[in-house]
Amino acid sequence: MMLEMKGVSASYDAVQAIRDVSLEVNEGEIVCLIGANGAGKSTTLKVISGLLRPNAGEVIFEGKQIQKTKPEEIVRLGISHVPEGRRVLPGLTVRENLELGASVRKGLSKADLNKEIEHQYELFPDLGRLRNALGWTLSGGQQQMLGIARGLMARPKMLMMDEPSLGLAPIIVKQVLETTKRISKEFGTTVLLVEQNASMALSISNRGYVMETGRITMSGTSKELLSNPQVNEAYLGGRSRKLKG
Amino acid sequence: MSGLAILGQNVFSGIAIGGVYALLALGIALIYRSTNVTNFAQGDITMLGAYALYILLEQLGLPYPIAFLLAIVVMGIFGWLFQRFVYYPLRNRSFLPVIIATIGAGILFQNVALVVFGSIPRKVNPVFASGGFTVGGVYFDLQYIVILVVTAALFVFQYLFFEHTSLGKKMQATAQDKTMAQLLGIPVALMIAFTFIYSTILGAIGGMLVAPIYFVTNRMGSTLGLKAFAACICGGFGDVRGALIGGIAIGLIEALGAAYIAPVYKDAFPFLLLLVFLLVRPQGIFGEKVSEKA
Ligand SMILES: Nc1ncnc2c1ncn2[C@@H]1O[C@H](COP(=O)(O)OP(=O)(O)OP(=O)(O)O)[C@@H](O)[C@H]1O
Ligand SMILES: [Mg+2]
Repeated sequence: MMLEMKGVSASYDAVQAIRDVSLEVNEGEIVCLIGANGAGKSTTLKVISGLLRPNAGEVIFEGKQIQKTKPEEIVRLGISHVPEGRRVLPGLTVRENLELGASVRKGLSKADLNKEIEHQYELFPDLGRLRNALGWTLSGGQQQMLGIARGLMARPKMLMMDEPSLGLAPIIVKQVLETTKRISKEFGTTVLLVEQNASMALSISNRGYVMETGRITMSGTSKELLSNPQVNEAYLGGRSRKLKG
Repeated sequence: MSGLAILGQNVFSGIAIGGVYALLALGIALIYRSTNVTNFAQGDITMLGAYALYILLEQLGLPYPIAFLLAIVVMGIFGWLFQRFVYYPLRNRSFLPVIIATIGAGILFQNVALVVFGSIPRKVNPVFASGGFTVGGVYFDLQYIVILVVTAALFVFQYLFFEHTSLGKKMQATAQDKTMAQLLGIPVALMIAFTFIYSTILGAIGGMLVAPIYFVTNRMGSTLGLKAFAACICGGFGDVRGALIGGIAIGLIEALGAAYIAPVYKDAFPFLLLLVFLLVRPQGIFGEKVSEKA
Protein backbone atom coordinates (compact mmCIF):
# COMPACT_ATOMS: atom_id res chain seq x y z
CA MET A 1 0.00 0.00 0.00
CA MET A 2 1.26 3.41 -0.92
CA LEU A 3 -0.79 5.70 1.27
CA GLU A 4 -3.02 5.02 4.21
CA MET A 5 -5.03 7.38 6.39
CA LYS A 6 -6.25 5.96 9.67
CA GLY A 7 -8.94 7.74 11.66
CA VAL A 8 -7.76 11.22 10.73
CA SER A 9 -9.51 14.29 12.10
CA ALA A 10 -8.46 17.85 11.38
CA SER A 11 -9.80 21.31 12.08
CA TYR A 12 -9.26 24.97 11.28
CA ASP A 13 -9.24 26.68 14.66
CA ALA A 14 -12.72 25.88 15.95
CA VAL A 15 -14.12 24.43 12.71
CA GLN A 16 -13.87 20.65 12.60
CA ALA A 17 -13.33 20.02 8.87
CA ILE A 18 -12.80 16.25 8.68
CA ARG A 19 -13.61 13.49 11.18
CA ASP A 20 -12.28 9.99 11.45
CA VAL A 21 -11.24 9.74 7.82
CA SER A 22 -9.68 6.46 6.73
CA LEU A 23 -8.67 5.67 3.20
CA GLU A 24 -6.13 3.73 1.20
CA VAL A 25 -4.35 4.29 -2.06
CA ASN A 26 -2.43 1.46 -3.70
CA GLU A 27 0.50 1.82 -6.00
CA GLY A 28 -0.40 2.59 -9.60
CA GLU A 29 -4.07 3.27 -8.87
CA ILE A 30 -6.16 6.27 -9.74
CA VAL A 31 -8.33 6.90 -6.71
CA CYS A 32 -10.92 9.64 -6.57
CA LEU A 33 -12.46 11.48 -3.67
CA ILE A 34 -15.83 12.99 -4.50
CA GLY A 35 -18.30 15.05 -2.52
CA ALA A 36 -20.18 18.32 -2.36
CA ASN A 37 -18.90 21.77 -1.45
CA GLY A 38 -17.35 21.90 1.98
CA ALA A 39 -17.33 18.12 2.40
CA GLY A 40 -13.66 18.16 3.42
CA LYS A 41 -11.98 16.92 0.24
CA SER A 42 -9.38 19.70 0.04
CA THR A 43 -8.77 19.43 3.75
CA THR A 44 -7.98 15.74 3.33
CA LEU A 45 -5.34 16.57 0.71
CA LYS A 46 -3.91 19.35 2.88
CA VAL A 47 -3.46 16.90 5.72
CA ILE A 48 -1.64 14.45 3.43
CA SER A 49 0.70 17.11 2.00
CA GLY A 50 1.43 18.50 5.46
CA LEU A 51 -0.22 21.91 5.05
CA LEU A 52 -2.56 21.06 7.92
CA ARG A 53 -1.65 19.06 11.02
CA PRO A 54 -4.36 16.58 11.97
CA ASN A 55 -5.50 16.56 15.60
CA ALA A 56 -6.03 12.82 15.55
CA GLY A 57 -5.14 9.83 13.44
CA GLU A 58 -2.25 8.69 11.30
CA VAL A 59 -1.12 9.32 7.76
CA ILE A 60 1.21 6.61 6.51
CA PHE A 61 3.14 6.89 3.27
CA GLU A 62 5.22 3.91 2.17
CA GLY A 63 5.18 2.60 5.71
CA LYS A 64 6.26 5.84 7.37
CA GLN A 65 4.09 8.09 9.50
CA ILE A 66 4.04 11.56 7.95
CA GLN A 67 1.29 13.40 9.81
CA LYS A 68 3.87 15.54 11.57
CA THR A 69 6.21 16.04 8.64
CA LYS A 70 6.54 19.48 7.07
CA PRO A 71 5.16 20.06 3.57
CA GLU A 72 8.60 20.85 2.14
CA GLU A 73 9.78 17.41 3.28
CA ILE A 74 6.67 15.56 2.16
CA VAL A 75 7.24 16.65 -1.45
CA ARG A 76 10.69 15.14 -1.20
CA LEU A 77 9.20 11.83 -0.10
CA GLY A 78 7.33 11.73 -3.40
CA ILE A 79 3.92 13.29 -2.84
CA SER A 80 3.09 16.17 -5.14
CA HIS A 81 0.02 18.24 -4.28
CA VAL A 82 -1.55 20.33 -7.05
CA PRO A 83 -3.77 22.46 -4.85
CA GLU A 84 -7.20 23.87 -5.40
CA GLY A 85 -7.43 27.06 -7.40
CA ARG A 86 -4.82 28.37 -9.73
CA ARG A 87 -1.72 28.50 -7.67
CA VAL A 88 0.53 29.38 -10.56
CA LEU A 89 3.29 31.72 -9.43
CA PRO A 90 2.03 34.88 -11.09
CA GLY A 91 5.30 36.77 -11.45
CA LEU A 92 7.32 33.87 -12.85
CA THR A 93 7.22 32.52 -16.40
CA VAL A 94 5.72 29.19 -17.41
CA ARG A 95 9.21 27.76 -17.73
CA GLU A 96 10.31 29.09 -14.34
CA ASN A 97 7.21 27.61 -12.74
CA LEU A 98 8.12 24.24 -14.25
CA GLU A 99 11.75 24.53 -13.15
CA LEU A 100 10.67 25.19 -9.58
CA GLY A 101 8.49 22.10 -9.80
CA ALA A 102 11.66 20.07 -10.21
CA SER A 103 13.65 21.91 -7.57
CA VAL A 104 13.14 19.13 -5.01
CA ARG A 105 15.04 16.70 -7.18
CA LYS A 106 18.67 16.75 -6.21
CA GLY A 107 21.22 15.88 -8.85
CA LEU A 108 18.93 16.46 -11.83
CA SER A 109 21.23 17.62 -14.64
CA LYS A 110 20.44 20.71 -16.68
CA ALA A 111 20.14 18.56 -19.79
CA ASP A 112 17.65 16.18 -18.17
CA LEU A 113 15.69 19.11 -16.79
CA ASN A 114 15.40 20.58 -20.27
CA LYS A 115 14.37 17.23 -21.68
CA GLU A 116 11.63 16.84 -19.09
CA ILE A 117 10.36 20.35 -19.62
CA GLU A 118 10.20 19.65 -23.35
CA HIS A 119 8.24 16.53 -22.53
CA GLN A 120 5.73 18.58 -20.55
CA TYR A 121 5.40 20.86 -23.57
CA GLU A 122 4.47 17.79 -25.63
CA LEU A 123 1.91 16.76 -23.03
CA PHE A 124 0.52 20.30 -22.84
CA PRO A 125 1.22 22.07 -26.14
CA ASP A 126 -0.22 25.39 -24.87
CA LEU A 127 2.52 25.56 -22.27
CA GLY A 128 5.22 25.14 -24.89
CA ARG A 129 3.81 28.00 -26.88
CA LEU A 130 3.60 30.19 -23.77
CA ARG A 131 6.88 29.13 -22.17
CA ASN A 132 8.07 32.70 -21.64
CA ALA A 133 4.73 34.16 -20.59
CA LEU A 134 4.26 35.23 -16.98
CA GLY A 135 1.96 33.06 -14.90
CA TRP A 136 -0.73 35.67 -14.37
CA THR A 137 -1.22 36.18 -18.11
CA LEU A 138 -2.39 32.58 -18.66
CA SER A 139 -6.05 31.65 -19.02
CA GLY A 140 -7.73 29.55 -16.34
CA GLY A 141 -7.32 26.36 -18.32
CA GLN A 142 -3.68 27.08 -19.10
CA GLN A 143 -2.99 27.81 -15.42
CA GLN A 144 -4.64 24.52 -14.51
CA MET A 145 -2.40 22.69 -16.98
CA LEU A 146 0.66 24.48 -15.70
CA GLY A 147 -0.29 23.49 -12.16
CA ILE A 148 -0.48 19.82 -13.16
CA ALA A 149 2.67 19.92 -15.29
CA ARG A 150 4.54 21.62 -12.44
CA GLY A 151 3.29 18.96 -10.04
CA LEU A 152 4.63 16.28 -12.39
CA MET A 153 8.03 17.93 -12.62
CA ALA A 154 8.69 16.70 -9.08
CA ARG A 155 8.41 13.15 -10.55
CA PRO A 156 6.12 12.18 -7.68
CA LYS A 157 5.26 8.65 -6.69
CA MET A 158 1.80 10.00 -5.93
CA LEU A 159 0.15 12.98 -7.56
CA MET A 160 -2.75 14.62 -5.73
CA MET A 161 -4.93 16.89 -7.83
CA ASP A 162 -7.60 19.09 -6.31
CA GLU A 163 -10.46 19.74 -8.72
CA PRO A 164 -8.50 19.98 -11.94
CA SER A 165 -11.77 20.41 -13.85
CA LEU A 166 -12.93 23.43 -11.86
CA GLY A 167 -13.89 26.34 -14.07
CA LEU A 168 -12.81 24.62 -17.26
CA ALA A 169 -14.80 24.19 -20.44
CA PRO A 170 -16.03 20.60 -21.01
CA ILE A 171 -13.62 20.06 -23.89
CA ILE A 172 -10.67 21.05 -21.68
CA VAL A 173 -11.98 18.89 -18.85
CA LYS A 174 -11.83 16.00 -21.28
CA GLN A 175 -8.29 16.93 -22.19
CA VAL A 176 -7.21 17.13 -18.54
CA LEU A 177 -8.87 13.80 -17.90
CA GLU A 178 -7.10 12.10 -20.77
CA THR A 179 -3.81 13.61 -19.72
CA THR A 180 -4.32 12.35 -16.17
CA LYS A 181 -4.82 8.81 -17.43
CA ARG A 182 -1.83 9.11 -19.73
CA ILE A 183 0.35 10.38 -16.89
CA SER A 184 -0.67 7.51 -14.67
CA LYS A 185 0.17 4.98 -17.38
CA GLU A 186 3.30 6.60 -18.76
CA PHE A 187 5.04 7.49 -15.50
CA GLY A 188 3.44 4.80 -13.38
CA THR A 189 2.28 7.63 -11.13
CA THR A 190 -0.33 6.89 -8.51
CA VAL A 191 -3.08 9.50 -8.61
CA LEU A 192 -5.39 10.76 -5.88
CA LEU A 193 -7.98 12.90 -7.55
CA VAL A 194 -10.40 15.23 -5.79
CA GLU A 195 -13.41 16.21 -7.84
CA GLN A 196 -16.88 17.66 -7.57
CA ASN A 197 -17.41 16.49 -11.11
CA ALA A 198 -18.17 12.94 -9.98
CA SER A 199 -19.00 11.37 -13.31
CA MET A 200 -15.74 12.58 -14.75
CA ALA A 201 -13.72 11.44 -11.76
CA LEU A 202 -15.35 8.01 -11.60
CA SER A 203 -14.97 7.47 -15.32
CA ILE A 204 -11.19 7.58 -15.15
CA SER A 205 -10.47 6.18 -11.70
CA ASN A 206 -10.13 2.63 -10.39
CA ARG A 207 -11.70 3.28 -7.02
CA GLY A 208 -13.48 6.08 -5.26
CA TYR A 209 -14.45 7.49 -1.88
CA VAL A 210 -17.47 9.65 -1.22
CA MET A 211 -17.22 12.38 1.41
CA GLU A 212 -20.07 14.13 3.18
CA THR A 213 -19.69 16.77 5.88
CA GLY A 214 -16.21 15.72 6.87
CA ARG A 215 -16.71 11.97 6.82
CA ILE A 216 -16.23 9.21 4.30
CA THR A 217 -19.65 7.74 3.74
CA MET A 218 -19.14 5.35 0.84
CA SER A 219 -16.32 3.67 -0.98
CA GLY A 220 -15.82 1.08 -3.66
CA THR A 221 -14.61 0.51 -7.16
CA SER A 222 -15.57 3.28 -9.51
CA LYS A 223 -17.84 0.87 -11.36
CA GLU A 224 -19.72 0.05 -8.18
CA LEU A 225 -20.05 3.70 -7.25
CA LEU A 226 -21.25 4.64 -10.72
CA SER A 227 -24.04 2.13 -10.47
CA ASN A 228 -24.86 2.85 -6.83
CA PRO A 229 -28.31 4.48 -6.69
CA GLN A 230 -27.38 6.76 -3.78
CA VAL A 231 -24.29 8.06 -5.52
CA ASN A 232 -26.28 8.39 -8.66
CA GLU A 233 -28.96 10.44 -6.98
CA ALA A 234 -26.63 12.71 -5.04
CA TYR A 235 -23.66 13.19 -7.35
CA LEU A 236 -24.59 12.15 -10.86
CA GLY A 237 -27.91 13.95 -10.99
CA GLY A 238 -29.77 10.62 -11.17
CA ARG A 239 -29.11 10.61 -14.89
CA SER A 240 -27.91 7.09 -15.47
CA ARG A 241 -30.80 5.64 -13.48
CA LYS A 242 -33.24 7.47 -15.67
CA LEU A 243 -31.41 6.22 -18.72
CA LYS A 244 -31.48 2.66 -17.47
CA GLY A 245 -35.10 2.88 -16.41
CA MET B 1 29.71 79.28 -10.50
CA SER B 2 27.55 79.34 -13.62
CA GLY B 3 23.86 78.54 -13.46
CA LEU B 4 24.45 75.36 -15.38
CA ALA B 5 27.23 74.28 -13.04
CA ILE B 6 24.98 74.85 -10.03
CA LEU B 7 22.29 72.76 -11.63
CA GLY B 8 24.83 70.07 -12.51
CA GLN B 9 26.18 70.09 -8.97
CA ASN B 10 22.77 69.62 -7.42
CA VAL B 11 21.72 66.97 -9.88
CA PHE B 12 24.93 65.06 -9.17
CA SER B 13 24.61 65.15 -5.41
CA GLY B 14 20.84 64.61 -5.58
CA ILE B 15 21.24 61.42 -7.59
CA ALA B 16 24.03 60.17 -5.33
CA ILE B 17 22.10 60.69 -2.09
CA GLY B 18 19.04 59.36 -3.89
CA GLY B 19 21.03 56.17 -4.49
CA VAL B 20 21.29 55.69 -0.73
CA TYR B 21 17.54 56.19 -0.34
CA ALA B 22 17.09 53.67 -3.14
CA LEU B 23 19.17 51.04 -1.30
CA LEU B 24 17.10 51.48 1.86
CA ALA B 25 13.90 51.48 -0.16
CA LEU B 26 14.97 48.28 -1.91
CA GLY B 27 15.43 46.62 1.48
CA ILE B 28 11.97 47.75 2.57
CA ALA B 29 10.46 46.59 -0.74
CA LEU B 30 12.00 43.11 -0.61
CA ILE B 31 10.78 42.46 2.92
CA TYR B 32 7.36 43.83 2.05
CA ARG B 33 7.11 41.56 -0.97
CA SER B 34 8.09 38.43 0.86
CA THR B 35 6.22 38.98 4.13
CA ASN B 36 3.71 41.79 3.54
CA VAL B 37 5.34 43.53 6.46
CA THR B 38 6.64 47.07 6.34
CA ASN B 39 9.91 47.19 8.23
CA PHE B 40 9.92 50.51 10.05
CA ALA B 41 13.30 49.72 11.58
CA GLN B 42 15.08 49.92 8.22
CA GLY B 43 16.28 53.48 8.93
CA ASP B 44 17.72 52.50 12.29
CA ILE B 45 19.38 49.46 10.77
CA THR B 46 21.13 51.96 8.50
CA MET B 47 22.30 53.84 11.58
CA LEU B 48 23.67 50.61 13.07
CA GLY B 49 25.51 49.93 9.81
CA ALA B 50 27.14 53.35 10.07
CA TYR B 51 28.18 52.70 13.69
CA ALA B 52 29.51 49.26 12.73
CA LEU B 53 31.76 50.90 10.16
CA TYR B 54 32.74 53.55 12.70
CA ILE B 55 33.88 50.94 15.22
CA LEU B 56 35.78 48.81 12.73
CA LEU B 57 37.34 51.67 10.80
CA GLU B 58 37.88 54.46 13.31
CA GLN B 59 38.14 52.67 16.62
CA LEU B 60 39.85 49.45 15.57
CA GLY B 61 41.74 51.10 12.73
CA LEU B 62 41.09 48.37 10.16
CA PRO B 63 41.69 49.17 6.48
CA TYR B 64 38.57 50.32 4.60
CA PRO B 65 37.88 47.20 2.50
CA ILE B 66 38.23 44.90 5.51
CA ALA B 67 36.16 47.16 7.76
CA PHE B 68 33.49 47.40 5.05
CA LEU B 69 33.27 43.65 4.46
CA LEU B 70 33.38 42.83 8.15
CA ALA B 71 30.60 45.32 8.82
CA ILE B 72 28.53 43.61 6.11
CA VAL B 73 29.05 40.23 7.76
CA VAL B 74 28.17 41.59 11.20
CA MET B 75 25.07 43.32 9.90
CA GLY B 76 24.04 40.19 7.98
CA ILE B 77 24.11 38.26 11.24
CA PHE B 78 22.21 41.11 12.82
CA GLY B 79 19.60 40.81 10.04
CA TRP B 80 19.13 37.14 10.88
CA LEU B 81 18.71 37.96 14.59
CA PHE B 82 16.27 40.73 13.70
CA GLN B 83 13.98 38.40 11.73
CA ARG B 84 14.34 35.65 14.33
CA PHE B 85 13.31 37.81 17.26
CA VAL B 86 11.18 40.57 15.74
CA TYR B 87 9.45 38.98 12.75
CA TYR B 88 9.42 35.21 13.29
CA PRO B 89 7.51 35.04 16.60
CA LEU B 90 4.75 37.19 15.09
CA ARG B 91 4.78 35.74 11.57
CA ASN B 92 1.31 34.21 11.78
CA ARG B 93 -0.29 37.32 13.21
CA SER B 94 -1.85 40.10 11.19
CA PHE B 95 0.48 42.75 9.81
CA LEU B 96 -0.20 45.28 12.58
CA PRO B 97 1.55 43.53 15.49
CA VAL B 98 4.57 42.92 13.27
CA ILE B 99 4.74 46.53 12.15
CA ILE B 100 4.48 47.73 15.74
CA ALA B 101 7.26 45.31 16.65
CA THR B 102 9.51 46.80 13.95
CA ILE B 103 8.78 50.32 15.19
CA GLY B 104 9.60 49.22 18.73
CA ALA B 105 12.81 47.56 17.56
CA GLY B 106 13.83 50.79 15.81
CA ILE B 107 13.33 52.81 18.98
CA LEU B 108 15.30 50.22 20.92
CA PHE B 109 18.20 50.40 18.44
CA GLN B 110 18.28 54.20 18.74
CA ASN B 111 18.40 54.07 22.50
CA VAL B 112 20.99 51.33 22.68
CA ALA B 113 23.15 53.38 20.31
CA LEU B 114 22.67 56.40 22.56
CA VAL B 115 23.78 54.44 25.61
CA VAL B 116 26.79 52.94 23.86
CA PHE B 117 28.02 55.88 21.78
CA GLY B 118 26.54 58.87 23.57
CA SER B 119 25.02 61.85 21.85
CA ILE B 120 28.24 63.22 20.35
CA PRO B 121 28.18 62.85 16.55
CA ARG B 122 30.93 60.56 15.33
CA LYS B 123 33.01 61.20 12.26
CA VAL B 124 33.86 58.52 9.69
CA ASN B 125 36.50 59.14 7.03
CA PRO B 126 35.54 58.89 3.37
CA VAL B 127 36.66 55.91 1.28
CA PHE B 128 39.18 58.02 -0.62
CA ALA B 129 41.15 60.65 1.27
CA SER B 130 41.80 62.78 -1.83
CA GLY B 131 38.35 64.38 -1.81
CA GLY B 132 37.34 64.88 -5.41
CA PHE B 133 37.83 66.68 -8.70
CA THR B 134 36.21 69.46 -10.70
CA VAL B 135 34.90 69.17 -14.25
CA GLY B 136 33.15 72.09 -15.96
CA GLY B 137 32.60 73.86 -12.68
CA VAL B 138 30.97 70.84 -11.04
CA TYR B 139 32.79 69.34 -8.06
CA PHE B 140 32.70 65.56 -8.11
CA ASP B 141 33.16 64.38 -4.54
CA LEU B 142 34.72 60.91 -4.63
CA GLN B 143 32.49 59.66 -1.81
CA TYR B 144 29.44 60.53 -3.93
CA ILE B 145 30.98 58.65 -6.84
CA VAL B 146 31.54 55.67 -4.54
CA ILE B 147 27.86 55.86 -3.60
CA LEU B 148 26.80 55.90 -7.25
CA VAL B 149 29.05 52.99 -8.18
CA VAL B 150 28.02 50.84 -5.21
CA THR B 151 24.31 51.57 -5.72
CA ALA B 152 24.50 50.76 -9.41
CA ALA B 153 26.43 47.56 -8.68
CA LEU B 154 23.89 46.46 -6.06
CA PHE B 155 20.93 47.04 -8.37
CA VAL B 156 22.66 45.07 -11.14
CA PHE B 157 23.36 42.31 -8.63
CA GLN B 158 19.74 42.45 -7.51
CA TYR B 159 18.58 41.91 -11.08
CA LEU B 160 21.03 39.11 -11.88
CA PHE B 161 20.44 37.35 -8.60
CA PHE B 162 16.66 37.42 -8.58
CA GLU B 163 16.09 36.79 -12.26
CA HIS B 164 18.89 34.39 -13.06
CA THR B 165 19.63 32.19 -10.06
CA SER B 166 17.65 29.32 -8.66
CA LEU B 167 17.83 30.78 -5.15
CA GLY B 168 16.56 34.12 -6.46
CA LYS B 169 13.60 32.41 -8.11
CA LYS B 170 12.82 30.50 -4.94
CA MET B 171 12.82 33.79 -3.05
CA GLN B 172 10.46 35.25 -5.66
CA ALA B 173 8.20 32.21 -5.38
CA THR B 174 8.13 32.66 -1.60
CA ALA B 175 7.17 36.30 -2.01
CA GLN B 176 4.40 35.44 -4.48
CA ASP B 177 2.70 32.50 -2.79
CA LYS B 178 4.06 30.99 0.41
CA THR B 179 1.74 27.98 0.50
CA MET B 180 2.55 27.02 -3.08
CA ALA B 181 6.24 27.58 -2.42
CA GLN B 182 6.02 25.09 0.46
CA LEU B 183 4.28 22.55 -1.75
CA LEU B 184 7.14 22.91 -4.23
CA GLY B 185 9.55 22.00 -1.46
CA ILE B 186 10.96 25.48 -0.98
CA PRO B 187 12.01 26.10 2.65
CA VAL B 188 9.91 29.20 3.09
CA ALA B 189 11.18 30.22 6.54
CA LEU B 190 14.76 30.08 5.28
CA MET B 191 13.90 32.17 2.20
CA ILE B 192 12.33 34.81 4.43
CA ALA B 193 15.39 34.77 6.68
CA PHE B 194 17.59 35.33 3.61
CA THR B 195 15.38 38.22 2.57
CA PHE B 196 15.80 39.87 5.98
CA ILE B 197 19.55 39.29 5.94
CA TYR B 198 19.89 40.76 2.47
CA SER B 199 17.64 43.74 3.23
CA THR B 200 19.54 44.46 6.42
CA ILE B 201 22.80 44.41 4.50
CA LEU B 202 21.36 46.81 1.93
CA GLY B 203 20.32 49.24 4.67
CA ALA B 204 23.66 48.89 6.42
CA ILE B 205 25.59 49.57 3.21
CA GLY B 206 23.46 52.70 2.78
CA GLY B 207 24.53 53.77 6.27
CA MET B 208 28.18 53.07 5.58
CA LEU B 209 28.04 55.08 2.37
CA VAL B 210 26.56 58.19 3.98
CA ALA B 211 28.53 57.90 7.22
CA PRO B 212 31.40 60.07 5.87
CA ILE B 213 28.93 62.65 4.51
CA TYR B 214 26.68 63.10 7.53
CA PHE B 215 27.92 62.65 11.04
CA VAL B 216 26.98 59.34 12.63
CA THR B 217 24.38 59.83 15.35
CA ASN B 218 21.81 57.59 16.96
CA ARG B 219 19.05 59.62 15.27
CA MET B 220 20.45 59.59 11.74
CA GLY B 221 18.26 56.65 10.75
CA SER B 222 14.94 58.40 11.39
CA THR B 223 15.17 60.88 8.53
CA LEU B 224 16.87 58.39 6.22
CA GLY B 225 14.21 55.80 6.94
CA LEU B 226 11.34 58.21 6.37
CA LYS B 227 12.80 59.33 3.06
CA ALA B 228 13.21 55.72 2.04
CA PHE B 229 9.51 55.16 2.78
CA ALA B 230 8.67 58.22 0.75
CA ALA B 231 10.76 56.70 -2.05
CA CYS B 232 8.88 53.40 -1.75
CA ILE B 233 5.51 55.09 -1.94
CA CYS B 234 6.43 57.33 -4.85
CA GLY B 235 7.96 54.45 -6.78
CA GLY B 236 5.22 51.96 -5.99
CA PHE B 237 5.39 49.99 -2.75
CA GLY B 238 7.19 46.69 -3.09
CA ASP B 239 8.47 47.35 -6.61
CA VAL B 240 12.20 47.03 -7.27
CA ARG B 241 12.29 49.57 -10.11
CA GLY B 242 10.06 51.79 -8.00
CA ALA B 243 12.59 51.72 -5.15
CA LEU B 244 15.37 52.86 -7.51
CA ILE B 245 13.39 55.54 -9.34
CA GLY B 246 11.63 56.68 -6.16
CA GLY B 247 14.91 56.95 -4.27
CA ILE B 248 16.55 59.02 -6.96
CA ALA B 249 13.46 61.21 -7.33
CA ILE B 250 13.51 61.93 -3.59
CA GLY B 251 17.24 62.69 -3.68
CA LEU B 252 16.82 65.03 -6.65
CA ILE B 253 13.84 66.96 -5.33
CA GLU B 254 15.60 67.42 -2.02
CA ALA B 255 18.79 68.76 -3.61
CA LEU B 256 17.01 70.96 -6.16
CA GLY B 257 14.44 72.26 -3.67
CA ALA B 258 17.18 73.22 -1.24
CA ALA B 259 19.18 74.95 -3.97
CA TYR B 260 16.41 76.81 -5.76
CA ILE B 261 13.62 77.27 -3.24
CA ALA B 262 14.78 77.29 0.36
CA PRO B 263 17.68 75.39 1.94
CA VAL B 264 16.06 75.36 5.39
CA TYR B 265 13.24 73.19 4.04
CA LYS B 266 15.63 70.63 2.52
CA ASP B 267 14.12 67.77 4.50
CA ALA B 268 10.57 68.88 3.75
CA PHE B 269 10.69 68.61 -0.05
CA PRO B 270 10.68 64.81 -0.13
CA PHE B 271 7.50 64.81 1.92
CA LEU B 272 5.98 67.39 -0.38
CA LEU B 273 6.62 65.00 -3.25
CA LEU B 274 5.16 62.21 -1.13
CA LEU B 275 1.99 64.25 -0.51
CA VAL B 276 1.63 64.98 -4.20
CA PHE B 277 1.91 61.27 -4.96
CA LEU B 278 -0.54 60.30 -2.24
CA LEU B 279 -3.07 62.73 -3.68
CA VAL B 280 -2.50 62.16 -7.38
CA ARG B 281 -1.11 58.66 -7.77
CA PRO B 282 -1.23 56.79 -4.44
CA GLN B 283 -0.15 53.53 -6.06
CA GLY B 284 3.16 55.12 -7.06
CA ILE B 285 4.91 55.14 -10.42
CA PHE B 286 5.05 51.38 -10.94
CA GLY B 287 2.28 50.24 -8.63
CA GLU B 288 -1.01 48.84 -9.86
CA LYS B 289 -4.21 50.39 -8.62
CA VAL B 290 -5.57 47.20 -7.19
CA SER B 291 -2.73 45.01 -6.07
CA GLU B 292 -3.45 41.88 -8.00
CA LYS B 293 -2.46 38.48 -6.81
CA ALA B 294 -3.65 35.84 -9.21
N1 LIG C 1 -8.88 27.95 5.76
C1 LIG C 1 -10.03 27.59 6.38
N2 LIG C 1 -10.39 28.14 7.56
C2 LIG C 1 -11.51 27.77 8.18
N3 LIG C 1 -12.35 26.84 7.72
C3 LIG C 1 -12.07 26.24 6.56
C4 LIG C 1 -10.90 26.58 5.83
N4 LIG C 1 -10.86 25.83 4.71
C5 LIG C 1 -11.96 25.06 4.75
N5 LIG C 1 -12.70 25.29 5.86
C6 LIG C 1 -13.94 24.59 6.24
O1 LIG C 1 -13.67 23.21 6.33
C7 LIG C 1 -14.71 22.45 5.76
C8 LIG C 1 -14.16 21.56 4.66
O2 LIG C 1 -13.64 22.37 3.63
P1 LIG C 1 -12.86 21.82 2.36
O3 LIG C 1 -12.23 22.98 1.69
O4 LIG C 1 -11.98 20.71 2.76
O5 LIG C 1 -14.05 21.28 1.48
P2 LIG C 1 -14.06 20.73 0.00
O6 LIG C 1 -14.67 19.40 0.04
O7 LIG C 1 -12.71 20.83 -0.60
O8 LIG C 1 -15.05 21.75 -0.70
P3 LIG C 1 -15.02 22.39 -2.16
O9 LIG C 1 -15.55 21.35 -3.08
O10 LIG C 1 -15.93 23.55 -2.06
O11 LIG C 1 -13.61 22.76 -2.47
C9 LIG C 1 -15.74 23.46 5.29
O12 LIG C 1 -16.73 23.55 6.29
C10 LIG C 1 -14.99 24.74 5.17
O13 LIG C 1 -15.83 25.83 5.42
MG1 LIG D 1 -11.95 21.91 -2.12
